[in-house]
Amino acid sequence: MRQLLHNPAGRAVLSLVLVVAVGVCFNADGTFFRWDTHRDMLRLVSVYGILAAAMTIVVVAGGIDLSVGSLLGLSAVCFSLFSIQWGWGALPSVCATMCIGAVCGSISGGAIGRFKVQPFIATLAMMVFARGLAKYISSGQKISTAVIGADGAYVYIPVPGIFDVIGMRVWDDNIAVVTLLMIVALLAAWVFLSQTVPGRELYAIGGNDEAARFSGVSIPVNTVLAYALSGLFCAAAGIAQAAQELQGDPEAGATYELSAIAMVVIGGTSLRGGTGGIHLTILGILIIGYLEKILSINAVGEDTRLMLTGIIIIAAVLFQKKGA
Amino acid sequence: MTMRIVSILLYVLVFSAPSFPQTPAFTIGMSQCNLGEPWRVQMNADIKKAAAEHPELRVTFKDAQNDNLRQSAHIDEFIRSGVNLIIVSPKEAAPLTKPISDAYKKGIPVIVLDRRILGNDYTCFIGADNKKIGRAAGRWIAKLLGGKGKIVELKGLMTSTPGQDRHFGFREGIKGSGCEVIFEADMKWLEPNARKEMESALSRFSQIDLVYAHNDPGAHGAFLAAKAAGRDGKMKFIGIDALPQEGRMYVKQGILAASFEYPTGGREAVETALQILRGKKVAREITLPSRVFTKDSIDKGGELLP
Repeated sequence: MRQLLHNPAGRAVLSLVLVVAVGVCFNADGTFFRWDTHRDMLRLVSVYGILAAAMTIVVVAGGIDLSVGSLLGLSAVCFSLFSIQWGWGALPSVCATMCIGAVCGSISGGAIGRFKVQPFIATLAMMVFARGLAKYISSGQKISTAVIGADGAYVYIPVPGIFDVIGMRVWDDNIAVVTLLMIVALLAAWVFLSQTVPGRELYAIGGNDEAARFSGVSIPVNTVLAYALSGLFCAAAGIAQAAQELQGDPEAGATYELSAIAMVVIGGTSLRGGTGGIHLTILGILIIGYLEKILSINAVGEDTRLMLTGIIIIAAVLFQKKGA
Repeated sequence: MTMRIVSILLYVLVFSAPSFPQTPAFTIGMSQCNLGEPWRVQMNADIKKAAAEHPELRVTFKDAQNDNLRQSAHIDEFIRSGVNLIIVSPKEAAPLTKPISDAYKKGIPVIVLDRRILGNDYTCFIGADNKKIGRAAGRWIAKLLGGKGKIVELKGLMTSTPGQDRHFGFREGIKGSGCEVIFEADMKWLEPNARKEMESALSRFSQIDLVYAHNDPGAHGAFLAAKAAGRDGKMKFIGIDALPQEGRMYVKQGILAASFEYPTGGREAVETALQILRGKKVAREITLPSRVFTKDSIDKGGELLP
């Protein structure tokens, strides 16, 4: 037990077990014991989970990315625009959207790495800008399959195939495609952070950027890379969001950055940088996901829900700190 | 160099200003509380469209981005810039009563749209009645289900007046019938949340006859959840708002059994403004009629609610 509490992963596992135990107690007439409840929870957290993977990369490097929610919204709008309204194929739409995400991310990264703007400020600016751009592109309306026809009235056009592919479930209906996307994103982020040289260098920068610089690590290059990857992941999350909603909502992803940060921190990755990793974020994703699902199946009112979520976040983080 | 660019810009600005086409006879200031909601985007679009039919009108739009103080500043700006009339859809009553009252006392006619202010310092109030719409939806649903059935209610936000009115009105409407609400949750007007709550309802209850959502995106989110569970054919979905590109489209596609219109009043506001500006007397309160759109009635422009 002591051993378990000694590392952040052990503490996060214990928090997760406690949350699941709450679900077992308040199981809403047995709903909690059904597989589809868990499957739906995994679908629900997928978009957040992809953002949390993005967040982990920049947090490890001692930064933070407040723009993930807005970039998700921007990507959802762009993807819907390309594939629904402009009729582009699946591949060009996905690639173009991912490019936009990566470019936005590298702009933040450039401001931080090259011009020494604080990550909080640089990504705050990107958060506001990207939301504005999403609204500008979409004229503030959701980009859906209802388009204005030749006579000025709205007509309905069929949903592009790529939406159905991402929105469906596979393996005998047992897992959502978006959940698989999240797993791929988490895996990619894990490989990058723990198995590649630039990934290891991000830990060095997050731990002590002066020391990293003296040992020959290029801070501007690595910072741009970290935020570009974050933007790329946000674009993937935006595509997943649009495919599930069957539309691109310029308001999509508002406040999602807060959930992503909560997932990273509850897992045990410190916002100071240099420590932690994807394995912890996965636990954080599951903790928040189960918490949301348990509150939802029990139809807990919004007021109580907010208070409980706040209490549980602070309790989980304190628990992480106490052990450290 | 910078100075030179700035001076060129200034020059262009100063000398391009008088080249506007002839000044319209009336300027209207439109203060919108939040353009983050599609329904309010539609309200502005309706105003723009109605005003475009009258070349003598010029409308200046300001978006307060859900901020009382910013909206109050916008109204002061309208007063100072000397607009002929103000249309305002206030965020909240108490903080906006004073600036609106200031404008009114300075002799600028004010049309208050959708949400009320305190007191009587305005020219005309235009709005629809959420409680009435909720009640009508309740009665219509009770009839549709033949007097009994299991209902999921996806509420907008119970801390907002429209959410409360659409909830309590609905409960009045189904009262006395055998219809029973088995699951209710706040979805904060957002589609992804509605989908999440509906998934929970679906895994908890094996029989659901109808979903009543406080807005159309909510009903659509519930439909997507039911479709993913393969149960969309076993239940009906009802929404509110009936925006042309949203609720009405869903009804046309057969996703929603009905959508109840919550009119924006944009067109009525412009028409009332014209009458005021031309010196005619207008009613102090205009309650907008609401329509219900079903698959049968949608092509005929919906059916007026009693």
